[in-house]
Amino acid sequence: MKMNGIGLHKKLEGNAGLLIFGILFVSAIGGLVQVLPSIFQESLKTPTGTTRPYSAVELAGRDIYIREGCSVCHSQQIRPLLAEVKRYGPYSRAGESVYDRPFLWGSKRTGPDLHRVGGKYSDIWHRLHLVNPRDVVPNSIMPAYPWLTEREANAGSDIHLKMRALKKLGHPYSDEEIEAAPAALEGLTEIDALIAYLQILGAWTKAEDTP
Amino acid sequence: MKTVISSWLLFRLLFQPTAVFEELSDTRPEPHSVFFKFVVWLAVIPPVFAYIGASNFGWRLGAAEPLFMPPGELILVSIAYFFALLFAFVSTAVVAQWMATTYGARHSLGIHFALVTIIAAPLVVGSTIHLFPHVFLNIVVFIPALMWSMYLLYRGLPIVLKISPERGMLMASALIGYLLVAAVSFLGLTVALWGQGIGPSIGV
Amino acid sequence: MLDAVEAIEGEHYFDRVVTALVMFSVIWAVLGMAVGVYVAAELIWPTLDFGQPWLSFGRLRPLHTNVVIFGFGVSALMGTAFYSVQRTSHVPLFAPRLAWFCFCAWQIAVLLGGLSLLAGWTSSKEYAELEWPFDIAITIVWVCFAIVFFGTIAKRRIKPIYVSNWFYGGLIIVIAMLHIVNSLAIPVTISKSYSLFAGAPDAIVQWWYGHNAVGFLLTGGFLGMMYYFLPKQADRPIWSYRLSIVAFWAFTYSYIWAGPHHLHYSSIPDWVQSLAVVMSLILLAPSWATMINGIMTVSSASQKLRTDPALKFIVLSLAFYGLATFEGPMMAIKSVNVVSHYTDWTIGHVHSGALGWNALITFGTFYFLVPRLVGTALYSVRLANIHFWMALAGTMLYVLAMWGAGVSQGLLWLSLDEIGELSFSFKDIMASMPPYYALRFVAGLVFLLGAVLMTYNLYMTIRGRRTIHVRPPAVMSHQI
Repeated sequence: MKMNGIGLHKKLEGNAGLLIFGILFVSAIGGLVQVLPSIFQESLKTPTGTTRPYSAVELAGRDIYIREGCSVCHSQQIRPLLAEVKRYGPYSRAGESVYDRPFLWGSKRTGPDLHRVGGKYSDIWHRLHLVNPRDVVPNSIMPAYPWLTEREANAGSDIHLKMRALKKLGHPYSDEEIEAAPAALEGLTEIDALIAYLQILGAWTKAEDTP
Repeated sequence: MKTVISSWLLFRLLFQPTAVFEELSDTRPEPHSVFFKFVVWLAVIPPVFAYIGASNFGWRLGAAEPLFMPPGELILVSIAYFFALLFAFVSTAVVAQWMATTYGARHSLGIHFALVTIIAAPLVVGSTIHLFPHVFLNIVVFIPALMWSMYLLYRGLPIVLKISPERGMLMASALIGYLLVAAVSFLGLTVALWGQGIGPSIGV
Repeated sequence: MLDAVEAIEGEHYFDRVVTALVMFSVIWAVLGMAVGVYVAAELIWPTLDFGQPWLSFGRLRPLHTNVVIFGFGVSALMGTAFYSVQRTSHVPLFAPRLAWFCFCAWQIAVLLGGLSLLAGWTSSKEYAELEWPFDIAITIVWVCFAIVFFGTIAKRRIKPIYVSNWFYGGLIIVIAMLHIVNSLAIPVTISKSYSLFAGAPDAIVQWWYGHNAVGFLLTGGFLGMMYYFLPKQADRPIWSYRLSIVAFWAFTYSYIWAGPHHLHYSSIPDWVQSLAVVMSLILLAPSWATMINGIMTVSSASQKLRTDPALKFIVLSLAFYGLATFEGPMMAIKSVNVVSHYTDWTIGHVHSGALGWNALITFGTFYFLVPRLVGTALYSVRLANIHFWMALAGTMLYVLAMWGAGVSQGLLWLSLDEIGELSFSFKDIMASMPPYYALRFVAGLVFLLGAVLMTYNLYMTIRGRRTIHVRPPAVMSHQI
């Protein structure tokens, strides 16, 4: 290393302000080049196929999925690999998750990928499975979620607040939809909402659309 | 100083490790004599056991039925295993020799070959479990063997290479660093090759 | 240096907050690891949640990660940062009351945050699960941390800023940047918010954060610890000053780009993935340069070293650091990642770093630091040596079990038979995992028990004593 390089660094070492600025500048570069363009890239924000915002019931279900930590064991991102597509269905497209706040792609498969689980099992199967997984899959290590049958889907009475917040973020909900949301959840329990969410997963890209 | 090591040392290692290390430290072995008299034979044992186990019982990864490789491929895999072990022995000894200057340890390649051979001995003994190639069982047996080897490394290195226990600890830790990296590289390399289709055809 | 002439009447280093942070770090270590052992058990016996939502795996797992990273890890970093910044600046902490606030507020945030996770308040974004009230609280405490740390540096009596402070400084600055951006969200209720980003952009932002939380908190911050405590323990200077400069800046620059390797084969743009592969490989160089600097610092001189369990921990931690910083780039290569992604191999990799590097270097630092804080010798060297072997055994067992499980899963999931159909069902593959999970449970238990031994040892060392007062060295005229 040339002597003037060392000299320059000695300046940096002698000045806390310069050091702070230097660290911030150097560490920001990667994010600016790699992350920032993706945030503004239109193709990553354009819905594909029949992708639409979640309905009130589906949204309530999704938030339960988040609350119970389902994404800790289940991924929702099918890779374009032959075995994976055979096992789970068409690989995931960016345009399918444009209304996912936050994204729920997951990073671990202790259980199977759920991106295209919608329509694969009946509502009753899901109900039995969620209340006690071992009733339908004997060796399963998935926890049981019996409390989901006991709680109301709109227990926090906040579904309309949630949809309003999402509308602010650009989800095309109509005011009527938001007004009607609490009624849509009336009489439903959390398990109903969660099942509704699971049943539309992956329904937005039909198999025929796969290139 | 003796230039030839007795085979009896490997057996005594089980019962009197310190005495073995001290005796070893008084020898000045030739690298090729250690290599041909001990390393080659020790390296042959695990692949032979693995071949016997895999051809008779098939590899059990736990998923379903045992997986049998076509005999031709099994032989190739076993030969590859043998050469991989030779590479492991030799490279570890060479790396240890390279590190020796930093730690003021004995520098002769022969003594490093001998040291690595002694330390690897428990792993060779443990490879008996290859006779029943159930992956999980192999791991269960391998781990205490590995801990034993690591213990021998920390204990024996300073004695054999004639340095203080403290510097021996430092060098042993550095050598473990190399071994960890080598192990994971090997894991990554075989996984990558296998995923690309270069490997036994069990359908991957 | 400890008994220098009193430069300013009554002036001494402000170490009581260091002792407090170290104590809580140890408590969180034991608690966080105990939760880890519990969730490891739940993966074998899923009914261990006894039908209670707050004991459910999905809620306990983030509790484990948050307590060990933010409770154990950050408390250790804050404590050692406060300790070392004073001594490398030859000046007591700037704004000691603010330092106390950092300590108290942080512990409360970890406690309440942990409880909120049990209640199901979560964003689901890894290592950023805490909801928006905690995000704001953390930011406030972090700003105070920055003020105390950089304020101390600003009033230093030695002109050059020592290398360990660059790394701690990097920790503070970069984590602030990452946390603020990744936490951007619209609050809906006290316990719920929606992230500003959605889908693929959200994934990229999350892993820019997640990978660099590992990079600058778990790696960079602890390298700061290493750069201060290793030369102190070994009683010799850093091996190469030039190497430390090049490595630091290369590290700070390249780590940031590696995040998208968590998203290989996902629906993010290909160029982002490829860039992540390249930069992850490049990152290997500065990581290892720092490791070599540490190893050579302790290895190169010929004077006799003390036989010290603390030193054994720190030196071995560098070996595991080498493993983890090699394995990471290797797993970032797409042809390896295709097998490793979504499997237990990732978990094994995380723990080789978390146990082998982070925990081991912290344990070594604490064994060195705690006796000095209270002016006595370590209560039991023998217990510390036993702990060393338990920590090594636990780490190796954990890693090997997860390598076995992960590689099996990855290869079997991809396996197709002669006619191109899937060879194995998902549930059959996972049904063969419990033996590996049992090994991992034992590994975690052994590691935890070692940490409990350490807690006892450090408690007996501190018991009945107060933090001693240490005076900064006398002011020399040419230093100012």
